[in-house]
Amino acid sequence: MSGHDSKYFSTTKKGEIPELKEELNSQYKDKRKDAVKKVIAAMTVGKDVSSLFADVVNCMQTENLELKKLVYLYLINYAKSQPDLAILAVNTFVKDSQDPNPLIRALAVRTMGCIRVDKITEYLCDPLQRCLKDDDPYVRKTAAICVAKLYDINAELVEDRGFLETLRDLISDNNPMVVANAVAALAEIQENNTGPIFEITSHTLSKLLTALNECTEWGQVFILDALSRYKASDARDAENIVERVTPRLQHANCAVVLSAVKMILLQMELITGTDVVRNLCKKMAPPLVTLLSAEPEIQYVALRNINLIVQKRPTILAHEIKVFFCKYNDPIYVKMEKLEIMIKLASDRNIDQVLLEFKEYATEVDVDFVRKAVRAIGRCAIKLERAAERCISVLLELIKIKVNYVVQEAIIVIKDIFRRYPNTYESIIATLCESLDTLDEPEAKASMIWIIGEYAERIDNADELLESFLESFPEEPALVQLQLLTATVKLFLKKPTEGPQQMIQVVLNNATVETDNPDLRDRAYIYWRLLSTDPEAAKDVVLAEKPVISDDSNQLDPSLLDELLANIATLSSVYHKPPEAFVTRTKLAAPKPDDDEEPDAGEAGYSESPSRAVNGASAPSGTSPGSQTSTRPPAPTPPAGTPATAAPVPDLLGDLIGLDSALVPVDTATTPSAAAPSATAPSVPLPVLLPKATGQGLQISGQLTRRDGQVFYALLFENSSQTALDGFMIQFNKNTFGLAPAAPLQVPQLHPGASSSTLLPMVLFQNLLPGPPSSLLQVAVKNNQQPVWYFNDKIQLQALFLEDGRMERTIFLETWKSLPDANEIAKDLQSAVISNVDVTIEHLLAHNVFFIAKRKNANKEILYLSAKVPRGIPFLVELTAAVGIPSVKCAIKTPSPEMAPLFFEAMESLLK
Amino acid sequence: MGILFTRMLSSIFGNREARILVLGLDNAGKTTILYRLQMGEVVSTIPTIGFNVETVQYNNIKFQVWDLGGQTSIRPYWRCYFPNTQAIIYVVDSSDTDRLVTAKEEFHAILEEDELKGAVVLVYANKQDLPGALDDAGVTEALELHKIKNRQWAIFKASAIKGEGLFEGLDWLSNTLKSGGG
Repeated sequence: MSGHDSKYFSTTKKGEIPELKEELNSQYKDKRKDAVKKVIAAMTVGKDVSSLFADVVNCMQTENLELKKLVYLYLINYAKSQPDLAILAVNTFVKDSQDPNPLIRALAVRTMGCIRVDKITEYLCDPLQRCLKDDDPYVRKTAAICVAKLYDINAELVEDRGFLETLRDLISDNNPMVVANAVAALAEIQENNTGPIFEITSHTLSKLLTALNECTEWGQVFILDALSRYKASDARDAENIVERVTPRLQHANCAVVLSAVKMILLQMELITGTDVVRNLCKKMAPPLVTLLSAEPEIQYVALRNINLIVQKRPTILAHEIKVFFCKYNDPIYVKMEKLEIMIKLASDRNIDQVLLEFKEYATEVDVDFVRKAVRAIGRCAIKLERAAERCISVLLELIKIKVNYVVQEAIIVIKDIFRRYPNTYESIIATLCESLDTLDEPEAKASMIWIIGEYAERIDNADELLESFLESFPEEPALVQLQLLTATVKLFLKKPTEGPQQMIQVVLNNATVETDNPDLRDRAYIYWRLLSTDPEAAKDVVLAEKPVISDDSNQLDPSLLDELLANIATLSSVYHKPPEAFVTRTKLAAPKPDDDEEPDAGEAGYSESPSRAVNGASAPSGTSPGSQTSTRPPAPTPPAGTPATAAPVPDLLGDLIGLDSALVPVDTATTPSAAAPSATAPSVPLPVLLPKATGQGLQISGQLTRRDGQVFYALLFENSSQTALDGFMIQFNKNTFGLAPAAPLQVPQLHPGASSSTLLPMVLFQNLLPGPPSSLLQVAVKNNQQPVWYFNDKIQLQALFLEDGRMERTIFLETWKSLPDANEIAKDLQSAVISNVDVTIEHLLAHNVFFIAKRKNANKEILYLSAKVPRGIPFLVELTAAVGIPSVKCAIKTPSPEMAPLFFEAMESLLK
Repeated sequence: MGILFTRMLSSIFGNREARILVLGLDNAGKTTILYRLQMGEVVSTIPTIGFNVETVQYNNIKFQVWDLGGQTSIRPYWRCYFPNTQAIIYVVDSSDTDRLVTAKEEFHAILEEDELKGAVVLVYANKQDLPGALDDAGVTEALELHKIKNRQWAIFKASAIKGEGLFEGLDWLSNTLKSGGG
C-alpha cells in the first residue's frame, strides 16, 4: 500500500456528538438552545446522548423557560446513567426552587422527584421542604407528589425529615388541589407500607369531603379512593359520607363515577336501613348505564366493573338488563362481557326477553360469540329452574338449524342441564342422537358419550352408538377416551349382554395396554378390578346417584369479590385478579421489633434476624452474621491441628452468631431451672450424633422425644478426652418446626471418662425455616474447651404428635371426604410390620396416633387412625397390612401433603 | 465618530461573552464574589453543590462567569468546564492558612491543564477583613505564583463582604482580555 493511502483512514468529519458538544458550549445563547433541542430530538428517537450530560447541564441556568424545561427533560432521562455528574445539577435545582416564578419552583421540585439518584436525594430535601410550605398552591401541590416519589427512593429520609407530617398537614390546606395531591401522595406511600401512614380521622374526613367538591376531576378520584378506605364508625357516619359523595355520580368523568360507586358500595356494607340501601341502589343505576354509552374501550372497563358490582348487589341493575343487549356493531370483547352480565341479570321475569336475544346471537357469524350465546342459554337453564324448559326448547330449535358448532355447543350445555335436572328432560335424547355424526370436537363428543352412557337403559341402540365411537378409540383425545371408558362400563353394568361385554373387553384392553395416558390406564384398571372382584359393588359405585350441579361458573369467591370491589376502577377490577397477582411491589419492611419482642409464633413473618439462628455452617473464621445463610450444610470437622486442649474459646458461638444473648448458657447447679426435669437415663440407647472420633473425645447422642405432652431433646454427653469439659451450650439452626430450647442446657462439668444425660425442654415455632418441610435439624454445641461442634439430627415427627389428635369417626369420615384427592398420598413402608393388631394399636396410642376403626379385607387388616401435629394439622391414616408380613401400606390424607414424607418416616419407625 | 466606533465594537462584543471560571477550595468565597460582582450586594450563600453561572457586564465586556463548587467531591468535575475558557479567577481564603497547601496544589494542577493553556489567571486573596489573613505577598508566596510561566497573571487583595479589591481585579482582567491576552 502506498503511503498516501493513509488519508482514507482519517476524516475531517467529527460526528454528531462532538458537533453537538461544540454547539452546546457555544458563545451564543441561540446556538446553545438549538443544540439542546437537537440533543432532545436525538434522545427521543433513541440515540444515546448521555455523553453530553455535563454540557447539557451547563445550559441549565437560563432565564429561558423553554430551554430550562428541555434541560430538565434531559436530566430526568439521563441522571440515572450519569449518577456522578448529576451532582452538578443540584445547585441549579436549589436556585430554581427559590425562583420568583412559581412555575419554575414547581418545575424544579417536580424534576427533582423524578431523578432517582441516591447521591443527590439528600441535597434535594431542603428545597422540597421549602416548596411544601410555599405560598403558591401550585408549588405546594407539586411538592406533595414529590414526597411520594422521594419516599419510593429513600423512605427513611422522608420519615426523618418529617415530610409525612407536613403531608398530613397539607390535608388541611385551603386549596383543594393541594389537598387532593397530598391525599394521593399519602395513599401511594401507604400502599407500599404496612404501618399506619395515612389514616382518615373525623377531622380529615370533613376536610376531604369539602375539598372533594372543589378540586379537579382527577383530584376527586384520589379523594374518593382514599375515602373508600375509610372505615366509618357506624351506619350514620357511613350514610353521611355517602350523602356527600352521591353528587359525584353525575360527573362526566368515568373514573370519578366508578370511584364514587366503589366508595358508596364499600360504605353501604355498614348501612343497615333497607330504604337507604334501596335508594342508593336506585341512584347508582343511571350513572352505570351512562358509562355504556362511552367508547367501546371504556364500555369494556365499565362492563368488567359492573360484572363485579352485579355479583355483589344484583338489585342495582336488575331492571336495566336491556342496556346490556348486544348491538350489532359492538366489538366482540364488549359483546362477550355483555353476555356475561346478561346471564347474571337473567331472572324469571325477564328470561323470555333474554332468551330471544340469545337465540338471535346464536345465529350470528362470529363463532366464538355464537358459542358463548349457546352456553349462556344453558347457564340460564341451570340457574333458573322455572325457565329450564323454555331454554331447552330454544336449544332444540338451534340444534335443528344444523349449524355444526351450534349443535356441538348445545350438546355440551344439554349434558350440564341433565346433570342439573336429572330425570326431567331425557325425552330429548332422541333428537340429540340424530346429530351424532356431526360431532367432531372433543368436548362435544365427550358430552354426547356421557349422555349415552348415563342413559344407556333408555337408548335402545346405545351399544351401537358407542361402538361407532369405539372404532377410533386410540386416536381420540384423552377427554373422549375417558368418557368412552366410563360410558362403556355403565352400558355394560346396565345391559350386561354379550355385545357390551365384548365392547368392554376391547375398551379395557385399549385403555390399559395400548395407552400411555396414566389417568386413563388407572381408571381402566380400577374399573377392571371392580368388575372382576364384585360386579354388584361396581354397580353401586359406577351407577351411584350423582350430586346435582349448580351454575357457579364465573362466580367469584366472596372474599375475592370483596377485594376486587375495593379495587373498582383499577386494573385489578378489569382483570378480576387481586393486585398482588400482577403487580410486584416490594413491601417496605415494617419497623423491626426489638429482639425480645419477636413474635414467638412467627406469624408476623419469619424471623430473619441472625441472632436467633445458629448458622451451623458458619465458617470457623466467623463471617459476618449478615452474610450467613441458614441453609448451608454444617461443617462438622474442625480445622485439622486444633489442639483439643486449646485455651477456653470465649463465646466463639456467640461471636459467630453475632449476639451473645441468644445463647442459652449453662446454668450453675445451684439454680436448677424448674422447667428442666431431672435428667433421667433413657432406656433405649440414643443415636450417636457426634462420634467421639470427630468430637475430639466428646461424644454426643441425642433424639427428640415426647414426655407429658412436651417435646424434649434427650441428650447424652460422654467425655473420653483427657480434659475436663464444662460450659456446655446448645443452639439450633432454623428448622421447619422452629424447634428451639425452652430452657438452658443442664450439663455439669464432665471429667475425663464421665458422662451426663439430660432432657432439654424444647419449644416450637421459634426460628422457623421457610420453604418445604424438612426433617433436618442442625445443632451446634460448644463448651469452654473445644471448638464448636456442628451436627445434623433428624426431626422425628412422632415427637411432635399432639395428645389431642383423637378424631371421632364421623369427623374422620367428613374430613376424609372434604379433603381433595390430591391430598391423599400413599407409601409402602417396606420395613414396617404389624405382628399383632391390638399391640400395634396400643403402641401407636402411646405415641399419640389414635385408633379409629379397623376392617378386614381378604387377608389384610385395614386400620384407620388419626394424628395431629402442632398448628393443628391433622393426618388421617389408613394402614393396610397382612399380619406378621413386613411391608405396611400407609395412605394418608392431610391438609398439608408436603409433610407426608416426614409422616411416613415417623410411621415407619413406630411400626418397626 | 468615536461613539459610532464604540457602538460597532460593542455590537461585535455584545453577543460574545468572555468565559471565566471562578475556582478555589470550598468556603473560599467564590459564590459571594460572583454575586457581589453581579448584583453589587452580599447574598447569603450555602455550599454550592454544582455550579452558578451569571453574566457580569463590566467595562463594556460581558463576562460569562462560572462559579464552580469547591467541595472535594465536585473538584473532579471542574474539568468539564475548562474548554474555551479565557480566564480563571482563583479565590483563596487568605485566613485559612492550614489549607493553603491544598489550595496551592489544586491551583497548580489547574495550570497544568492543556485546555487552560491560554487562560489568564486572576487570584483573589479573599477574606482580608478577617484577622490573621495573609496579605497578597503572603498568598503569592504560599501559592508559589512566581513559578507561573508563559501566562499573564495578577493577584489582588480582596474582601467580598466589604466589596474591596474585586473591581480592581476585574479592571485588570478586562484590560488584559481586551488587549488580546486571552
